[in-house]
Amino acid sequence: MTSKYFRQNMRINIIGSCLLLCICLAACGPSDKSSSDSNNNAAALDNKERQYFTNGRNLYETYCANCHMEQGQGLGQLIPPLKNSDFLLANVPAAARWIKNGLNGKIMVNGKTYDQPMPANAKLTPLEIAEILTFISNSWGNTHGGVTTEEVIEVLNQQAN
Amino acid sequence: MKMKRLSLALAFTLAAAIFTSCEKNSTYKLPILGYTDYEEVNGKVDTIYHTIPAFGFLDQDSAMVTKETVEGKIYVADFFFGTCPTICPKMAQQMLRVYDQFKDNEDFAILSHTIDPEHDTVEYLNGYAAKLGVNDNETWHFLTGKKEEIYELGTAAGYMVQVREDPTAEGGYIHSGAFILVDKEGRVRGFYDGTIPEKVDVLMNDIKILQAEYAD
Repeated sequence: MTSKYFRQNMRINIIGSCLLLCICLAACGPSDKSSSDSNNNAAALDNKERQYFTNGRNLYETYCANCHMEQGQGLGQLIPPLKNSDFLLANVPAAARWIKNGLNGKIMVNGKTYDQPMPANAKLTPLEIAEILTFISNSWGNTHGGVTTEEVIEVLNQQAN
Repeated sequence: MKMKRLSLALAFTLAAAIFTSCEKNSTYKLPILGYTDYEEVNGKVDTIYHTIPAFGFLDQDSAMVTKETVEGKIYVADFFFGTCPTICPKMAQQMLRVYDQFKDNEDFAILSHTIDPEHDTVEYLNGYAAKLGVNDNETWHFLTGKKEEIYELGTAAGYMVQVREDPTAEGGYIHSGAFILVDKEGRVRGFYDGTIPEKVDVLMNDIKILQAEYAD
């Protein structure tokens, strides 16, 4: 038996073992739990709107996701969903007021009553609110389109009067 | 040729070792947490573990829940309040996962203590539980009672977590997002961040490890 043949065989063997090892290790790892939303409407937005959408996603995670959850699904009958929410989609951009000042009292969302107070986020600027609205009204199957800062300023002023 | 067979055998042993390392080691036991004391009784040293002290609170169906209610049960405890604008909904979402997996288990319970009993009355908690989709008080008890007693239970004398009023905090309270795992003897066996799904996965696995401990 030549040593060359032997060495070649050894190498295949080692590669084989490494491969097996990799498979085993991969099997041990946690299952992939991607929370990204593939069902968003970003493709229908223009460049500026898409920028709003991206910033809005970060703001959503900071200010909204604790209650409305990472996929906008809400929580039982405590927290209303934003995903496919007739109430939200009928109130863009007016929902800017609720984001800014909170919301109290009963509301009806997709045929269900919700009565949990929503806290105010008084520190959010009109730009940030427009970004959040752009994100939530174009995510998880929602297809409202872009929301501008001017629209937000307008509805916030309406309330002040 | 001998070398080749040897390396092949080695590869298989390694693979086998890795495969078995994936499985739960059935002899692994969760640690017993808290201050442990030792006492000499008749020349023998007894180990005295930290246990949850006696308590008495009303749940969402006005049933009195005490230490005896959960004696002989593995249970998970947490602190929340109904109008909490920060981490509570996330904790409730995660606790629902635990509830769904273990609710049919007779010796399993969940105790959620409100830290705002003035607002979170029995009536309020009844509605809160129902809105979460928890329709009976068989497994998951939402508890309210005297504020001092609730806070006392959160301290080092009880669940060993952070619970207090703080007017500067959002919502008015500071409270830990921990899920606390307690065994059938009232001993604390683990803390898990109830706002992080992966940590709650660990909790659910640890509940099984603890169940196995009692199955022997």
